[in-house]
Amino acid sequence: MIVAKRKPFQEIKELISGYKKILIVGCGTCVAVCLAGGEKEVAILSAQLKIALRLEGKAVEIKEITIQRQCDREFLQELKRQVDVADFDVILSTACGAGVQLLSDVYSEKVVVPGLDTAFIGVAEGPGIWSERCRACNQCVLGLTGGICPVTMCAKGLPNGPCSGARNGKCEVDPEKDCAWVKIYERLERLGRLDQIKEIVPPRRYSVQQNPAIAIHEAYKRRFDKDGKNV
Amino acid sequence: MGKTFKEALASGKFVITANISSPKGVNVDSLINQVKFLKDLTDGLVVPDNLLATMTMSACAASRLVIENGVDPIMSLNCRDRNRIALASDLLGASLMDIKNILCVSGDHTKFGDHIDAKPVYDIDSVQLLGMARGLEKGRDISHNELNGYPQFCLGAVANPEADPLGPQLNKFDKKVQAGAEFFLTLPVFNIDNLKRFMEHARKSEVKILASIRVLVPEEVHKYADGSYPGLFVPEDVLEEIKDASIDKGIEVAGRLIRDIKDRNICDGINLMASGYEERIPDILKAGGI
Repeated sequence: MIVAKRKPFQEIKELISGYKKILIVGCGTCVAVCLAGGEKEVAILSAQLKIALRLEGKAVEIKEITIQRQCDREFLQELKRQVDVADFDVILSTACGAGVQLLSDVYSEKVVVPGLDTAFIGVAEGPGIWSERCRACNQCVLGLTGGICPVTMCAKGLPNGPCSGARNGKCEVDPEKDCAWVKIYERLERLGRLDQIKEIVPPRRYSVQQNPAIAIHEAYKRRFDKDGKNV
Repeated sequence: MGKTFKEALASGKFVITANISSPKGVNVDSLINQVKFLKDLTDGLVVPDNLLATMTMSACAASRLVIENGVDPIMSLNCRDRNRIALASDLLGASLMDIKNILCVSGDHTKFGDHIDAKPVYDIDSVQLLGMARGLEKGRDISHNELNGYPQFCLGAVANPEADPLGPQLNKFDKKVQAGAEFFLTLPVFNIDNLKRFMEHARKSEVKILASIRVLVPEEVHKYADGSYPGLFVPEDVLEEIKDASIDKGIEVAGRLIRDIKDRNICDGINLMASGYEERIPDILKAGGI
């Protein structure tokens, strides 16, 4: 899942400064799970903004709505059905960066601003805690490294083994975190597969990781050109 | 310049190198003084490459200055500050300036330095850098393009005998040897048993190993303990020994380690790290029986 956190309140206030009619659009998927931009968080943000702006003597109208997914055009139809976006001066999106951008594309005549900072692709470790697990590098090595990603979990993203700074199995950059390569080594040792990290890993191919990336499913390739445009 | 570092390694003598400090600025007086002072005491001087992610003068320029003052430099080259194009380009430039000894390192993370918001590059790692440099010697860059004129290097790498656990470190050591390292400078060692355990493995290859000896400064005990220096693991009893003492105690500890390593023929030499106390290197060597 995508993990995000709410921007500092002051920054959000500055982003919507000067607008009278504000539409806050929440997202009910990843950012709802990580308690950053779902229905409840939108309600809290809306209330905070209303109070703060009223205390400053600013007359604004704020409406909030949360749709299931902002990163999918199909789901954005729901927004059209529920509100007339034309009635608002600005859209404050509490989706991840992908959702904010799609909303901007669909409502290109409107100002769309982000309410969150998108942090990483990760997993839920427990209530209220998430950790990064994937950098979306487009050349997965987890099959060799015992299911632990050195690109993400090593602070330097080293592909061939640890740096010289791991201390008692902890990362030199953050002693609270495990050294990824110690974890990889120990797991492969347990699995009897240390042979998998004996060979030198060649340099990564950043040519396959050019951004902005696009993915087209095999079955749909005849419909689109390489840039994703309908043919 | 007398014997080169590579010749010293091949001679079988107990090799002595030392780290020097690069200037943060263009005043090279201190750098030149260090080189002149250490010229007859060492077989080579290690020139840092933005050590601890702290910006200083280019290692390439500083290394050239070391040559011009009569000593063979061992130029550090880190993967933190450059992508594969810049690394190869610097290797060719170094070769042109007669800098042959290259210490290939991944590089301390930017977190430790004076530019914490800089982007750490790590496009390739130290193993791949070694392989790339060996490729240049054969006339090909890392993308297999042909070179016009080939460089020649004496390539080195680092390893940490004090790493805990040691297994992952030894696995990477093997990869560095396989990639083309011909000498290693260890990170600072304090525990001779750990060093011997590491050397048992290292001796399976032909590479030369120089053990780094760091002079501990009593005023920095808290930094040694809290992980401020990546890769520096000072045992509790040594910390206790130097705490509240003078720098002479740090020199005594260093001397004791050197004596142990030399007398018991554990390594092929030592690399002295006496940042800020370079003028005491003769005392350190004397304390080590050299």
